[in-house]
Parts: sequence; C-alpha cells; structure tokens
Amino acid sequence: MPFEILDASDEEVVCRALLDKEAFAVLISRYEAKLLRYLERLGVGVREDREDVLQNVFVKAYKNLNGFDVTLSFSSWVYRIAHNEAMSFFRARRARPQVILTEASAILLTELKDDGADTSLVAEARISREELARAFKKLPQVYQDVLTLRFFEDRSYTEMSDILEMPVGTISTLLHRAKRALRAALPATFLS
Amino acid sequence: MMQHDMPPQDSDLAKRVIGCITSKRLTPRPRWVFTFKNYFFWILGALAITLGAFAFSAMLFQITFVDWSLSSVTHASFFAFFLAAAPFLWVSALALFIIVGQVNIRRTSHGYRYPIIAMTLGSMFLSVAFGGGFYMAGLGGDLDEAIGDHPPLYRSIVAQERSWWLAPEKGLLTGHVVEVASGTSSFVLRDLSGQSWEIDGNNLSDQVLSAVTSGEEVRIVGLPAPTSVSTMTSASVRVPTAATTTITTFHACFVLSRERDREKVSSPESYDESCENIRPYRHLRDLGKKNKKDEEEKKDAENSEDDEDDGEEDEEGGEDDGNDD
Repeated sequence: MPFEILDASDEEVVCRALLDKEAFAVLISRYEAKLLRYLERLGVGVREDREDVLQNVFVKAYKNLNGFDVTLSFSSWVYRIAHNEAMSFFRARRARPQVILTEASAILLTELKDDGADTSLVAEARISREELARAFKKLPQVYQDVLTLRFFEDRSYTEMSDILEMPVGTISTLLHRAKRALRAALPATFLS
Repeated sequence: MMQHDMPPQDSDLAKRVIGCITSKRLTPRPRWVFTFKNYFFWILGALAITLGAFAFSAMLFQITFVDWSLSSVTHASFFAFFLAAAPFLWVSALALFIIVGQVNIRRTSHGYRYPIIAMTLGSMFLSVAFGGGFYMAGLGGDLDEAIGDHPPLYRSIVAQERSWWLAPEKGLLTGHVVEVASGTSSFVLRDLSGQSWEIDGNNLSDQVLSAVTSGEEVRIVGLPAPTSVSTMTSASVRVPTAATTTITTFHACFVLSRERDREKVSSPESYDESCENIRPYRHLRDLGKKNKKDEEEKKDAENSEDDEDDGEEDEEGGEDDGNDD
C-alpha cells in the first residue's frame, strides 16, 4: 500500500478506490474496529456474526461507492450502511439485539442524572452494568439507536441525522424521550 | 489531513472483502444509477404535487359551482346537501397526493433532513398555490368534467347538480329557454333530457319575464300541471327540432338564472297560494325579499348620490350669486 494514500482523507481514498479496488482496503482498515464496536453496541452479540455483517457492510459500501454523497462524511455514510445492515441481520434472524454496554455506560448514567451531576454521583448510584443493560434492552429500538450513537459513539446530532436518516429535530426529540424512558426503566435507587 | 491509526498491512477483513470483490467481479454501480434514482424521486414528488394541484383546482371548482344558498331547494336538509355537494373525492385525492409527494421527496438523497411537517406543509402550499392557478385557468372544471365522463367511478358535479334540478315531480326543472312568446307570460323550455315544457309564468313579475331570454339556461322551481300535456305544432311555438312536440305545462313560481343573477328570482308580491305548497317556498320567498331589498337600497343610494350632486351644484350657484352681489 503506498504511503501517500495512507495519509489521504476518506473522500480522497474513495476517489482512488473507484479506480483501484485495492485502495478500498485503506477505508476498511480505518473503520473495521470502530464498526465492529458499533455493531456490538447495536446488539450483534456473536463475534462471527459481527464479522459477517461487517464484511457485507464493506461489500455494499464498495458497490455503492458512486452513490457516496460528498456533502456527508464518509464516516456517517458507512455507519448508516452498518446500521441498516445490522437491522437487516436482526430481521433475517428474527432475533432481538443483545444489549452489551461497555465502559461508556458511566457517561450515559451521568447524562441521565440531573444536569451537572458528576461521575462520583454515578458511582454512588450503585447501578451495575447489567442493570443498565437490562433497562436499555427494554427500550424501543429507535431509542437504543439514538442513545448508542450519542453516548457510545460520541456522534453529533448532524451525524446522527445522516446515519439514521432523520431530521435533526427528530433526533433531538427522540434523544430526549429515550433518556426519559431509560430513566424510568432504571431501578428507583438510581434517581433517589 | 486526517489522522488515523494506520496498519502497515491490510487487515484480515480487508483481505477477505477485497477477495470477495475480486472473486465475484464486483464493480461499483455507475454514478448515473444514483443520479437517476435521485431525480426519479424528485420527479415523482413534483408529479404528486402537480396532481394534488389539479385535485385542489377541481375541489375549488366543485365548491364554487354548487349554489350553497339553495341547499334547501334541492335537498331535504343541509346535511344531505353537504354529503352530495362536498368534494370528498378531491379532498381525499389532494391529501393522498400530498402524502405521496412528501414520501417521494423524503427518498431523495437529502430528503430525510427536512422535517415531515415542513415537507407536508410545503407540498400542501405548492399544491394549493398551483391549484389556485389551475382553477383560475379553468382547468378545475375541465378535470371534473373529463373524469366525470367515466361513470360509475365518478360523476361530475355539473352532471350531479343538473340531476338535482331535473326532477319535475319534485317541482324542480332546468333547461334552455327555447322560445319566449312575446306578449304572453309563458315561454318554452327544453330540459336536459330533451323534453319540452311550456312554462306558465303567470306568477312571475314582468321584470323576471323580461329578463328571460331565448337560449339561456335557467332553473325553475314550481309545480308540474297534472293534466296539461298538449301537442303543439312547431308553427305555434317555433320549436326548432321537431315538427310536432309534446309539451307539458309547468307552473313556474321562481326562475333562477344559471349565472346566479338573483334579480331573476321572482319578487315576493307575485306569489300565489299554489306556490306555497312547494317545499322551499319560504327560503325562496326570503331570497326574493332580500333581492328586492338590495335592489331598492341600490336605487336609493343612486338617487341620494344624484341629489347630493344637485345640492352641491345649487350651493355653488348660490355662492356665485352672493359674490356677484
């Protein structure tokens, strides 16, 4: 792999990949780990399944490379494909996503507390990761999607809008409702 | 320049994906496919808005065509009239096309960014704006008529409205004035089914009778005379299409012009007792009274304007005289 392409922007690599499929490997390498983590957070629990879904994501991305809209970031575009592919995977398997919350749970719990609360309060809340995962699993899929993107993927509202293909206003409303629903689903000790 | 964690070599997944692309000989879909798809949805969206505009123009035509003030004449209740006259089909079509329009625009490349309410209101605004233009250009009536030519799917409001008035047994009649006999209070009318009627206008004022002109389409409220069928030669009434025509007499209580010229509604003084038996008598009598009152007010206003003008002239004349003195 030439060194200059390793330093090129995603959009430049896309242009190269349209002429030379080997250049597409650079994009795969850049997003492989991030998207595997994202798929795991969306609920694709088994590693082999995640890898299969991710392979399909990249194959689809390659086939639709000419449809990549340069007004979006490549990141948002490929996350959108990954999200849609994960939803197709759940539909095909008729399986409910497995909620696996990781180290970012603390950020979400802080957010769920009153504004301005710090992480020490979260520690005092004595909420285990499993309890949070149980509450998270009770939420509708769309609420899980917005919470995952916002708190575990650290995405802006605009990026979330591009990934989930919804207006920014709708994202904002959904996020607000999702937090309220998650608060309601958590054990009472958390908010006391 | 973007900063990434660059692996020196392709990962296993990258090798698998590139291998899959190579083995299946996959190539990126041509750009025109995506451009076409994007334009396709824009065109469908625009088409839906245009069809919505046509539906709106037909809706406006229907609302303005029917005479809502005469609902009690043709129907037993306003509710029955509303069910018959309200443009449910066109309102439904407008709503459907607005939804189809916004769904298609939403499927364009950036369509998801626009709020659904904004897109729905935008589609509605465009349909209403263009529909208003189409209505002004007369397309609303044309569309209603064109679709109305294919019963039983839809019957145009023009045909529906005429059928309400083509019910002599209910005292309603509509058609074209064929002949106005001079010096008499009757005229000959051919209804829309082709039957000729001798209209007895004894109850009509001279003003109304003088306003009835040959060739005009009128609506008449009255009573069919039960034993009045007579055969008249074309020479006596000069009906142009047949040498001998069977003519039924119809006693007219009210005559209404198609042009909604309310001055042709009979004046209330001329009603006789037989007209009181017709169902919408009170309504039409009130309508006649109102028309007469409007007419008198108009005349009074004209007279007072004339008097003021004369008064001003007199005053000016007086001042001149004073100056001269």
